[in-house]
Amino acid sequence: MRFLPHTDTDRNAMLESMDMDVMSDLFTDIPSEFHLEQGSLDLPDALSEAGIVRKFTKASEQNRHAGNTRCFLGGGTYHHFVPAVVDYVISRGEFLTAYTPYQPEISQGTLQTLFEFQTMIARLTGMDVSNASMYEAATATAEAALMARRVTRKSKVVMAGSVNPRYRSVTQNYLSRLEGEYVEVATHGFSTDVDGIIASIDEDTACVIVQYPDFYGSVYDLAELRVACDAAKCLMVITFSDVTAFALIQSPGECGADIAVGSGQSLGIPMGFGGPHLGLLTCKQKYVRQMPGRVCGMTSDADGKRGFVLTLSTREQHIRREKATSNICSNQGLMCTAAATYMTLMGDEGLKTVATRSAAALHHLLSNLPKHVTAAQGARYNETVLSFVSEEKRSAFLVEARKRDIFAGIPLEQLDTNMAHNHLLVSTTEMIEEADIQDYLAALEVAA
Amino acid sequence: MSTARTSNTYSAVGGIQHEEPLLFEHAHEAAEAISLPGVQGDISAELHAFSRQKPANIPGLSEPETVRHFVRMSQWNHGIETGFYPLGSCTMKYNPRVNEQVVRLSGLANIHPDQPIDSVQGVLALLYELQEWLCEIAGFSDVTLQPAAGAHGELAGLMMIRSCLDARGQQHRKKVLVPDSAHGTNPASAALCGMHCIELKSGADGRIDLDELKKHLDGDVAALMMTNPKTAGAFESDIKEICQLVHDAGGLVYGDGANLNALVGMARPGDMGIDCLHINVHKTFSTPHGGGGPGAGPVVVNDTLAPYLPVPRIVKEGENYRIETQEEQSCGTILGSIGQVGVLLRAHAYIAAFGRNHLHKIAQDAVLNANYVLHRLKDAYHVPFEGLCKHECLLTDEYQNKHGIKTLDVAKQLSDLGFHPMTVYFPLIVHGAMLIEPTETESKATLDSFCDAMLEIAAQCEAGDTQVLHDAPTKPIRRRLDETQAARKPVLVWSD
Repeated sequence: MRFLPHTDTDRNAMLESMDMDVMSDLFTDIPSEFHLEQGSLDLPDALSEAGIVRKFTKASEQNRHAGNTRCFLGGGTYHHFVPAVVDYVISRGEFLTAYTPYQPEISQGTLQTLFEFQTMIARLTGMDVSNASMYEAATATAEAALMARRVTRKSKVVMAGSVNPRYRSVTQNYLSRLEGEYVEVATHGFSTDVDGIIASIDEDTACVIVQYPDFYGSVYDLAELRVACDAAKCLMVITFSDVTAFALIQSPGECGADIAVGSGQSLGIPMGFGGPHLGLLTCKQKYVRQMPGRVCGMTSDADGKRGFVLTLSTREQHIRREKATSNICSNQGLMCTAAATYMTLMGDEGLKTVATRSAAALHHLLSNLPKHVTAAQGARYNETVLSFVSEEKRSAFLVEARKRDIFAGIPLEQLDTNMAHNHLLVSTTEMIEEADIQDYLAALEVAA
Repeated sequence: MSTARTSNTYSAVGGIQHEEPLLFEHAHEAAEAISLPGVQGDISAELHAFSRQKPANIPGLSEPETVRHFVRMSQWNHGIETGFYPLGSCTMKYNPRVNEQVVRLSGLANIHPDQPIDSVQGVLALLYELQEWLCEIAGFSDVTLQPAAGAHGELAGLMMIRSCLDARGQQHRKKVLVPDSAHGTNPASAALCGMHCIELKSGADGRIDLDELKKHLDGDVAALMMTNPKTAGAFESDIKEICQLVHDAGGLVYGDGANLNALVGMARPGDMGIDCLHINVHKTFSTPHGGGGPGAGPVVVNDTLAPYLPVPRIVKEGENYRIETQEEQSCGTILGSIGQVGVLLRAHAYIAAFGRNHLHKIAQDAVLNANYVLHRLKDAYHVPFEGLCKHECLLTDEYQNKHGIKTLDVAKQLSDLGFHPMTVYFPLIVHGAMLIEPTETESKATLDSFCDAMLEIAAQCEAGDTQVLHDAPTKPIRRRLDETQAARKPVLVWSD
C-alpha cells in the first residue's frame, strides 16, 4: 500500500524486537469477540491513484458548476474570483499539513499569518479585534449570541427575521437546550423591520442580532437600533454573509456593532458545495476575554525578538473544560491563510473593486428588468429578491435560464419554508459580466 | 508598535532562512490592484448613501511580493511534509497529494450549495457512498456528515442523546459522565448541550474503574462519554460491560472517535455497544490539519439514535439523491450547510485508496509503530501504565525531573533535533505527560532516529548536561516565546 512505508521485513524486525510473532499479538487487549476478519468489511477493493482520479473526475462531470455556468446564486455562499496565488499558498505543505500552532517556535508561519489575518479582518469589518476563525457563519452567529449572554449576564436573545434562515435555525437550536428566551421578530417585505426589533428589546435582553446587509440584500440604517441597545444595555450583534460588502458600505464597526460575525468565504475560498468556508468573529476590545475560539497574540522570545503565540487560552476548553467560552477546538485555520493571502493581493483598492462591481452588476440588472418582474425596494448590496406573478412564471423563467447555462436564483421557499413560491433570491459578484446580464434579461423576456 | 520591528529584517539569518516583516511593514504605496473581471458600471444611488466612511487600510502587495511573503511564512512552519510530527491524539499522518488534486476539480470545488438538485448528483453520490463506508467501518447503521469538527460532532451526538431521552420522557437526565483522561472538548460540549459533567477518576491502570462508574450510575445519568482507546494509550478492555452498565442504568454511550486510527479495519466501536461515535476525518482519514482546521466530525449512530439525526440529510431514492431538510424527530440543524464537503471528499478518496483489502493495515502499522517507540523508550522514560498500547504511547518526565528537566524541556529540545514534539501535559491524569503518536505513515528509520533523539536527551539528563535542554530551542526562527506577556496585555491586531 503506497501510503505505508514499512516492508514486511521492517514489520517482522519490529515485532521480533518486542518478542512478538504476528501483528495480532498487538491486539490481544481487544476482546476476541470484536476482532474483525481481515478484509471482511463491505467496502470496494482499493483503488489505484489513477482509479481515484478517474472516479472523482467522473463524479465532477456529473455536476454543473460555476466554471461552466453563470452563477446568480447567493444566500450565504458567493462565487467571487479566487486568484491562483491563494490556492498555491494554501497548498504549501508547511501550511497545509501543520497542526494547530501549540508549539509556537516552529509554527511562526501559521501564527504570524493568523495575526495578519486578524488585523485585516478587524480593519475590514471596522471592529477592534478578530479571533482566529469559527467554522462558518451560522455557528458563528450562535456563538455570538452565547458570547453576548456571558458579557451582559442577561439571557434574552432577539433575532431579526431578516437574518439568513440557516443562521436563525442553527442559533435557535444551539440556544434551545440552555436557559433563556429566544425571540424572532417577523419581517414584513424583503427588508429589516428595525422598529419591530426595537419594540422587542427589554431589560432582560442580552443582544439583538441583525444581518447587514440582510438576507434579502437590504442595506439600512442602524443608528436608531444602536441608541435603543445603549438604552437597554444590550449588545448589538451584526451578522453578515458577504464580507466584501464592507469595502464599499459602512462597516459593522462604523454602524456601532459590539460583536460582528459572519462568513469570510468571499475572501478567496471556493463555494465547494457548502464548505469548508470561513466563520468570522470580531468584537470590541473590551469583550475579548469572552470571545470563543482561538486567538493569536504578539509577544517576544527569549532573545527579545518579536513573535506570536496562541493566547487567552484560559477561555478555552482544553484548560477550562466545562466552563470554557465554547467547545470549539479545530477551526478553519487554513481558510484564514487563504483569506489573508487574498486580502494581501487585493488591498483596499482590489477589495473595493470587487465590492463595487458586485453591486454594479446588480444595479445594472435591476435597471433593466422587464415589467412582469418586481424587485424588492430600497438600497441593496449585491443581492435582492425578484418576485414573479406566479410560481408557473418563475418556473418558466428558470427553465429558460438553464437553457442559457444560468443559475438564475434560489427559490426563496427552499431556504425559508414560510415563503410563497414566486420569489427568487438573486445575487451578483464581479464574476458576472455584462453579457451574462444580457442573457439573464433575455431569458426573462422569453418567459414573460 | 512599529518600533518592535525585528532587527536584520530582509537579511538571511541562517543559510537561506529569512526574517520577514509583517505585511503591514512592507513600506510602500499600495501596489496596483490585481486585475478583476466584472461590470464596470455605477452602483445605485440608494446604496451610495451608505458608503464606508474610512478606508479599511489593508495594504495590498504586488503578486510577487505576496507570494514571497507567504512562502517565507510557510518556511517558518513545521508540517508533516517537513518531518516527523508525533502529536498524541492528533494522528498527524501523511496527507495524500492526489486528494488535494481531485477536490480541486471545478465540478467539485465550484458548486453552489443551493444549485438545483439535478445539477449536483455527482457530488451527492460521493458523499452518500462515504456515509455508507463510515457506517460499515465503524459498525453503525446511520450517520450525519454535517459536523464541522470533532467537538462539533460531540455536540451533535449529545443533542441526539438529549432528543432521545426527551422522547422517552426523561428530561431530568442531565448528568454526563466523563473520565478524567478525556479531551477538554467533552465537558465543554456537554455544557453547551445543557448537561453537566461528573468526572470519573481513572483506575490505577489508566482505564475506567468499574466501581467508580457504578457509583455514579443513577437515574439522572444521560450519557457516558468515552474515548477508546483511552488517551492514555490503552484499550478499554471492559468496553462491553461498561456499555451494558450504562444502558442498564438508562443512559447512552457516546464514543469520542479521536482514536479510531487504532481500530480501523481491525474492530468496530459499534459492535461493542457504543450508541454513537464521532469520527475525526482529519485524524483517521487523513484530511490535512491546515494549521488548526478545517476538519470534519461525522457522527455515526445506531438504531436507537438514528431518528434524531440532524438535518439536512442526503437521501437516496432509486438512482437519485436529494437533500431532506425536515425530519420529525431530528435534533435540529447544527451548521449552515450540509457539511465541510471538501474535507469529506478527501476522506472518501483516502478510504478508496485503502479499500476492503488494505484498510486494516492502517491500524496495524499505527499500533506497531507506537508499541515499537514505547519499547525503545521504556527504560529511559517513566511508563505510567504497563502493557500494550494502541496507536499512541504515554510516557512521563518522572526520571528527568530528578535532573531538573521537565516535559517542556524535552519537547523544546526535540525541535532543535529536527522533530515536532509529542503532545505535552495531556492527558491530565499523569504528571508531565508525553503522549507520542507516530502514525502508520512513518518508516522504521524515522522512528529509530526519533527514539535515538529521545534517548540522547535522557542521557544528557543522566549526565547532568542539562543547560542545553533549558536553552532549547535555539535553531528555529524563534526561541521560547513569552506566553505570559501575550496573555497579560493582549495585542491581537497590528497598529501602524
